[in-house]
Amino acid sequence: MHRRLPPLSIVLGAIGAAFVALPVLGLALRAPWGRIVEILTGPGAGTALQLSLEVSLLATLCSVVFGVPLAWILARGTFRGRATLRALVILPLVLPPVVAGVGLLEALGRSGVVGSWLERIVGIQLTFHTAGAVVAATFVSIPLVVLSAEAGFRSLDPRFEHAAAVLGAKPGYTLRRVILPMVGPQLVAGAVLAWARALGEFGATITFAGNLEGRTQTVPLAVFQRLQTDREGAIALSLVLVAVSICVLVALRDRITGTG
Amino acid sequence: MPLDVDVEVRRGDRTIAVAFAVDDGETVALVGRNGAGKTTALEAIAGIAVVTGRVDLDGRSLVSLPPEGRGIGVAFQDGMLFPKLSVLENVAFPLRAGGVGREEARTRARERLAELAPDVDPGARPATLSGGERQRVALARALAAEPKVLLLDEPFAAVDAEAKPELRAMLRRTLASFNGPRVLVTHDPVEAMTLADRLVLLEDGRVTQTGTPDEVRRHPATRYAAEFVGTNLFQGELVPDDAGVGLLRTGGGELTVVWPEGLPRVPVADVRATLSPAEIALHTEEPHGSPRNVFRGAVEEVAAVGGRARIRLRTTPPLVAELTTGSVDRLGIVAGRDVWASCKAVEIRLMVPGEEPDTL
Repeated sequence: MHRRLPPLSIVLGAIGAAFVALPVLGLALRAPWGRIVEILTGPGAGTALQLSLEVSLLATLCSVVFGVPLAWILARGTFRGRATLRALVILPLVLPPVVAGVGLLEALGRSGVVGSWLERIVGIQLTFHTAGAVVAATFVSIPLVVLSAEAGFRSLDPRFEHAAAVLGAKPGYTLRRVILPMVGPQLVAGAVLAWARALGEFGATITFAGNLEGRTQTVPLAVFQRLQTDREGAIALSLVLVAVSICVLVALRDRITGTG
Repeated sequence: MPLDVDVEVRRGDRTIAVAFAVDDGETVALVGRNGAGKTTALEAIAGIAVVTGRVDLDGRSLVSLPPEGRGIGVAFQDGMLFPKLSVLENVAFPLRAGGVGREEARTRARERLAELAPDVDPGARPATLSGGERQRVALARALAAEPKVLLLDEPFAAVDAEAKPELRAMLRRTLASFNGPRVLVTHDPVEAMTLADRLVLLEDGRVTQTGTPDEVRRHPATRYAAEFVGTNLFQGELVPDDAGVGLLRTGGGELTVVWPEGLPRVPVADVRATLSPAEIALHTEEPHGSPRNVFRGAVEEVAAVGGRARIRLRTTPPLVAELTTGSVDRLGIVAGRDVWASCKAVEIRLMVPGEEPDTL
């Protein structure tokens, strides 16, 4: 059925759409298309791309390894303070990344609460180290895994767990053989979102891990640095992130756009 | 007895208190309406529900054991097959969970399936199976690890009417060949009466009667028990009337009954009486002649079972009559129509407290 829309909503909506589309269009129009392969495979850009890939994948792995059990506890645990714990885990989603960076510095930095201990006893220093970039990216991306996995766990009929237990399965076996396969799609969605978030992480990384080429300078940091000196390089690297974002949207289109 | 249950389970603001025992090689049906506590009782045995009290198996207490340590086989309502595992993996699951090697578990699972669900493709996903097939696989899975107790939770709930007789026959065979205690949870009289050696009736979280199907049919203790076995049950004060007869004054109406021989002709409280639905005659006009008990009321419901129809009447007291479907058609009995129901006083069987139960 054709429905007439109020003219004002058409105008405002068009402005909104243009507002979102224009920056992407700007990047595409100003891109040095002829030299893009050369730029991206060049020494600085190539290093940043490779580092970003490593850091984001490691951060995704950490988010899944720690986030999924956390989601399980939040979904099925019955303990005091569960709501508080959930709020705490979601906090990085709304926290300004630079604040997250300062927090990480005070906690895990060289003079931080845990960081000083880590350096003295274990000999690990996170700041100015790739591991620091991974920590910063994990911090901002773990809530996405927890939220998605917890929603998946909650949607499961608890009678499947009961059935598995009665059939002789210990909780760990039940989780591995019954529960995780059933929430597979939600886990994948959470991991992809976490990866996209980790890939784009800037504020916490530059604050906590620093901006060292080849060690902590991921693509967003490289874009930021090149903006002053090498605008074409900044645009080329930005386009890579745009392409990745579009791929993520396509991969998760059912889940995100809600159009099925 | 080998399985001895006496438990209390808190469910929200109410407590379910259930006690019963099951012998080796005996099938006990836990019957009751939805919410009566049947499934909770089953969960108490399986270790899913938190209980206080006793669950003993062969003299050993199970209460403190987790579900996975109890050795109890459960075929769950709707099967509860794991959707991401194949039929074969589902049946092998309890074996694998118990530490049996992959190949041996698969071989044994395949044997179980061949025996109980020969028509089901072992490689299929549970979602592709019919209700009856799911139930067969669930039974195979429950038995796979050779449990000491077998629990069946509403095995016919998700099964088509036409698939029921065959499944019932299969269940009969399977139950008969299982040597330990067997518990069947159901709200269906046909399942309970055909599969169980003994009935445990639950109402509102309490056991209201225990007995063989025949005992319950002859002496239903409650209105629900009577309805379950298909009998009318009345309860009230018996007072003398004309010579040789008495009146049973129930909360909702009076019945004329034969005064029990040898009983002093004084009012007796708390007398129960049963009346078989087949002994009630229905009329579309007011009957004349001998019957002492005539009740007028609207037809509430007509339910056909095979060639017979059960007719629920809004009389005082409320009655259930049973007629052939032919008679129902001939008399034009439909819901909403006003009819007269009649029965002879001699057909009403009395159970007087303290007296030997009237066994016919």
